[in-house]
Amino acid sequence: MNKEIKTTLLHDWHVENGANMAAFGAYDMPLWYPLGVKGEHLAVIKSAGLFDTSHMAVITVQGEDARTLLQKYFSKDLEQCLGLKKTCLVEGRSVYGLFLSQEGHVLDDSIVSQVTDSLYMLVVNAGMGGPIATHLAEHAGEMQVEITDLTDRVGKVDIQGPDSAKILGKLLKEPSTVFEKFPYFSFKGWFEDGVRGVETVELSDGTPILLSRTGYTGEFGFEIFMAPDKLISLWEGLLKAGKEYSIEPCGLAARDSLRAGAVLPLSHQDVGDWPFAETPWPFALAERDEKGQFSKEFFGAEALSSLVAVEYTLPFAGYDPRKMVVSDKSYVADATGTKVGTILTCATDMAIGRVDESIVSTATSVESGKPEDFVPRGLSCGFVKVNRQFMPGDIVVLTDGKRKIKVEIRQDIRPDRTARRPMREML
Amino acid sequence: MKEVHELNLPEDVRYTKDHEWAKLTGDTIKIGISDYAQDQMGDIVFVEMPDVGDTFEEGDEFGTLESVKAVSELYIPVGGEVVAINEELEDTPELLNQDPYGGWIVEIKPKDTQEIEQLFDRDAYLGVLKDE
Repeated sequence: MNKEIKTTLLHDWHVENGANMAAFGAYDMPLWYPLGVKGEHLAVIKSAGLFDTSHMAVITVQGEDARTLLQKYFSKDLEQCLGLKKTCLVEGRSVYGLFLSQEGHVLDDSIVSQVTDSLYMLVVNAGMGGPIATHLAEHAGEMQVEITDLTDRVGKVDIQGPDSAKILGKLLKEPSTVFEKFPYFSFKGWFEDGVRGVETVELSDGTPILLSRTGYTGEFGFEIFMAPDKLISLWEGLLKAGKEYSIEPCGLAARDSLRAGAVLPLSHQDVGDWPFAETPWPFALAERDEKGQFSKEFFGAEALSSLVAVEYTLPFAGYDPRKMVVSDKSYVADATGTKVGTILTCATDMAIGRVDESIVSTATSVESGKPEDFVPRGLSCGFVKVNRQFMPGDIVVLTDGKRKIKVEIRQDIRPDRTARRPMREML
Repeated sequence: MKEVHELNLPEDVRYTKDHEWAKLTGDTIKIGISDYAQDQMGDIVFVEMPDVGDTFEEGDEFGTLESVKAVSELYIPVGGEVVAINEELEDTPELLNQDPYGGWIVEIKPKDTQEIEQLFDRDAYLGVLKDE
């Protein structure tokens, strides 16, 4: 098999700037820069961090049957997905969901964005552009639809953290117009010159971008898509513009610890080639009624409907930064020492700590219980997959047979995240 | 990440293939991790140390280091009894990143002070690093 190592266009920049590089999927990516993971993680909580996410893949689905195809193969019901009222997906809005196999296993997770009535953008994980595009094409049959895998043909950087809009605004041609009416999980613009009917978002130099109020850190920020030849200048421009806010380039390690604390799954690790059953992410599926019936039929739904859960994926947080390496030897035990499951993710969220029994973040206000002299020591956190239901507050033990780390099953992990904060508070 | 020539590798300590260092002062040996080890691990966030009075044979695991990236076992380069642990690391584990040779982890009273002679000197350790 061809195991060619791929690079993003920022690879040279990462190396020249002292990044510790490692393989992630097929890509050689930065794990952290000289500042270190802790500083990067905290930068995203306190100010802003910049991530090269060009390894992720973009697929476009175009044509009069685009929506019909996605309704059938994407787990989220595009007619009932937005907001509390579950209104339909419209232009300029995005939704998170899954592509499933017939058996209800996860092929990949994705954010689907409706650009126009007949153009949808799918962002999938590194290396998944080809497989998901093929999966959709194989099932498209007679449908009027064109599926294009844009892997390595779109540049992408994520700016994440409370100062993201202030920094990005300095580079936009019309920041106040762009930031107006820009809720979480919405987007504006397109990454090439004009798609009819789409309002453009341009940098001051005229570069068209697609700006999406999404991310993978749990914090306020944006994912920015552009033509690959604009990637390096935008990256450097954001670092320069963000200097006064102490922006930091961030590697995959900080991305992992931030997303774990935000209870976001990593595809192929926390969700993957096993039934998507009891998880902390039921919102990735179409709505269900009291009888468990989905609001629409979709590929994989039948398997999920008839599934009797035998495994439960649950978030956890520890009591100190100690982690258990996920390996063949490590497992989850209950209080009596009996093996009850496996560890999916175990990372350290460096922005949090325990005060008495509750978890406090660097971002927590003093009024909400953060001690004045709070210094986060970090807590291990992540996801376990266990063979019976545990409730929040229950204690399980992560062990490799030698070390034992006591952790608490949680509903949520890092408090006071900023992802959903109203835009007006962030400008 | 540091290139080999950028690493701080003092002459007055001995090294192991597991990237620990050992330094004999009087009749005790202080043990820590090399600049290479701390650079590879990234931010160290927790140090699990043995208790004073614990005894180890050469090569025994005596603790673990947690970085944001991974957990690494610590192996004792020279057998002996722990006479002190660096308690500062409990609150400031990042000392191992900031000053890997000032930031010792444990101090042992070796059974045989000559054992340290078996460890790599700077040049031999450089050879190990170049092969990594």
